[in-house]
Amino acid sequence: MKKHALLTATSLLFAAVSFGAGFQVNYQGLRQVAMGGTGTGWMWDASSIFYNPGGLARLKNIQAYGSVQFLMINTQYVQTPTGGYSERSKSQVFTPFNVYVGGRLREEGKLALGLGIYTPFGSGLSWNNNWEGRYVIQSIAMQTIFFQPTLSYKISDAISLGGGFVYATGNVKFKRAMPVQDNAGNDGYAELKGRANGVGLNLGIHIMPTENVQLGINYRSQVNMTVRNGDARFVVPAALSSSFPNTDFKTEVPLPQVFSVGIGVRPVKNLTLTAEVNWMGWKPYDTLFFDYEDNTPALQDTKAPRNYKNTVAFRLGANFKASPRFAVMGGFAYDPTPVADGFVSPDLPDADRWLVTTGLTFKATDRLTLLGALEYGASQKRDAEYLPENFNGKYQTKAFIPCIGITYDFR
Amino acid sequence: MKKLFIIFGIVALASCKPNLKVDTPTANGLDFSNYVAVGNSVTAGYADGSLYRSGQINSYPNMLASHFGLLGQSIVFKQPLLRSDAGFPSPKRVLGYYTDCTGATSLAPTFTTDPVDSLDNTNISVEGPFNNFGIPGIRAIDYLIPGYADLAAAYGFPYAKRMFTNSAWRPLDELKLSSPTFFTLWLGTNDVLGYALSGGEENTTLAIHPNNISDFNQFRAGYDSVLSVLTRTGAKGVLLNIPDITTIPFFTTIPANGMVLDTIQASKLNAATGTTMFRAGNNYFIIQDISAPGGARQMKDGELVLLSIPQDSLKCYGWGSLVPIPKRYVLTHDEVAKINGAITSINAHIAGKAVAMNLPLVDINTFLKNAMTGYMYNGVSYTTQFISGGAFSLDGVHLTPRGQALVANEIIRAMNSFYKSTLPMIDVHQYPGIRFPL
Repeated sequence: MKKHALLTATSLLFAAVSFGAGFQVNYQGLRQVAMGGTGTGWMWDASSIFYNPGGLARLKNIQAYGSVQFLMINTQYVQTPTGGYSERSKSQVFTPFNVYVGGRLREEGKLALGLGIYTPFGSGLSWNNNWEGRYVIQSIAMQTIFFQPTLSYKISDAISLGGGFVYATGNVKFKRAMPVQDNAGNDGYAELKGRANGVGLNLGIHIMPTENVQLGINYRSQVNMTVRNGDARFVVPAALSSSFPNTDFKTEVPLPQVFSVGIGVRPVKNLTLTAEVNWMGWKPYDTLFFDYEDNTPALQDTKAPRNYKNTVAFRLGANFKASPRFAVMGGFAYDPTPVADGFVSPDLPDADRWLVTTGLTFKATDRLTLLGALEYGASQKRDAEYLPENFNGKYQTKAFIPCIGITYDFR
Repeated sequence: MKKLFIIFGIVALASCKPNLKVDTPTANGLDFSNYVAVGNSVTAGYADGSLYRSGQINSYPNMLASHFGLLGQSIVFKQPLLRSDAGFPSPKRVLGYYTDCTGATSLAPTFTTDPVDSLDNTNISVEGPFNNFGIPGIRAIDYLIPGYADLAAAYGFPYAKRMFTNSAWRPLDELKLSSPTFFTLWLGTNDVLGYALSGGEENTTLAIHPNNISDFNQFRAGYDSVLSVLTRTGAKGVLLNIPDITTIPFFTTIPANGMVLDTIQASKLNAATGTTMFRAGNNYFIIQDISAPGGARQMKDGELVLLSIPQDSLKCYGWGSLVPIPKRYVLTHDEVAKINGAITSINAHIAGKAVAMNLPLVDINTFLKNAMTGYMYNGVSYTTQFISGGAFSLDGVHLTPRGQALVANEIIRAMNSFYKSTLPMIDVHQYPGIRFPL
């Protein structure tokens, strides 16, 4: 007679893991960060490789550009109806960075070459190991590095085109408690780690009808970050170890395509105003699967609905050249969430965000410029549900992001 | 200038922290200073086949009482706590390894080896009256039976005898010692459960025998008396209806067609019985049935095998094939129908009382029905499956502390919606679930 299976349907594993919008970090250039994230229209420096490869051919000489951001994110969770329980995420600092080298090969030439190395997705969240949502998520982190060799060509004084091929590499890591306790009452847990990679394109057109007006159109393709040989490790009471064998897993995280249109105008000398719209194609992120190499009745492949929707973000910026050496910048942006109601999970609970930004550049020498920028973002307080795992509450996330950078012109 | 920078820094850092307001829970006039929970084994915190101290501490009434403390009211909640965590009167079950008659070892409920404490037999009524008036085994009809405590002890349920000031009293008289300001009432399950646990083996000589389904009029008299005592000083409260007990793991873990045979075993059985009914694969067990030709027949879908059946008899001694399973381990269609009929009448009465007395009803019956396909809570799917389901303890009848907390949350939900209180939900996962050995 067959013994009844003691351990079926223990729990869907990692249904809530999303690697979604919360992981997007829009800090690929400091002047652009300081100007509300606008960068498609007006060309400033070698970070055009990211914002609009079409504009790289505007850069008269080769420039080296480096910056680093200190991303400090804090999220608070309050159970609903409130009063019983609240939790704050652990403090962590992430450091996305950018390195660009590029520009026209000859000052009078038409062709520009460049290489960009940047980190458009990279963040994480870590909760107390014993928090109320531990069976949904304990910690999650994602890092990506994009390598983008780029070619740009100035067709005429008014129009230039550019494009880059993107090779993306990175890693994902997350941990979740499992509702199986040992005799001492300790939860089991599952930890999944994996290297991911993918490819994509970054294409742009830059138009400069007059000295004081610039327009740009940029398209960055979707990049499917594929994990082929991730490691899944399960720490469970010994009685259950055969039900949860350590195994390889596969998954795929689609990073969205982005279509941007931007404009910059210089109404008076020393003042530049920019505006930009980004359309982000999150829709393909409708499910997240985990395919385990070894399956058992307790460890089944999972497929969780994400139901992301496409979004449109609006950005405004200003740059005022206060003196030959100093410029100050400011901006703001509205960045709506792609996460639909009912699918806000505590891995990186996402909500519509308002961003306020500012920055400063200091031209130390003819060739060397120092950059500083600061972004402050607060998400809307969101009364949220994660229906697939029935985890409900209110969330708010605040982020404070100081950035520093340097550019050096070879001429 | 320097000062300005410092101020700016402080403001920047402070604004970096989210500041969601946590509301203060409100009772909207409910007074929990003397909360009394009337019920049976589940209310008492009985689990894993016995009553033990940590089970009592993790009972839904005790969870609720400590949760009501969030309101800032001064609450005293007395429980008839045992000294021992090993079980009273007999040892509880823990998950361990069991080697069966075939020599196979598997994970299974086993009795704890911790010693029970004989001092737990002592009467502790001086500590009362108790706010947790959950008495394992008690039925609604028992509330009107004088000398119940002694009678129940004779049937192996010494719980009332331990708690009561006078064992000659009716439980209703004992309950009158309390003057609740708030109550939960969850009675009626045992008016049906005893019959089901006995495999439908009624006792025809003693009407109030625990193996019998309670007479409905007697049930009603008992239930209504309890409710009038609880509300006699105007206390507000909550009524819970009774679950469909045929869906709990005790009755669903072993399927009616749970005899798995290979081709050789099947042909051997056919030869031995002179039939052709045994086939390779899943077979319906053979059970005793006096009305069937030869006094035995195959089980049918919808009939239930009890978890109390000796597993070794099934595995090695031909039970269910050559030896018909004794009827005390089986609920037949007629018996299941009788159980369901009684549950329907009892729940109709409880629902009627809720309306008549203007009290919220917690529909545990529907909650459990929905949980059969999985009740997802904070990332964990609770089901009515034995052990893996997480909500039922190792006896297959009573709840784990997490199951108790799920009940407590259903009560809070009903209170918030009916009384317009704003009590937060209890974090179910701060309580233990099933514990697995090394």
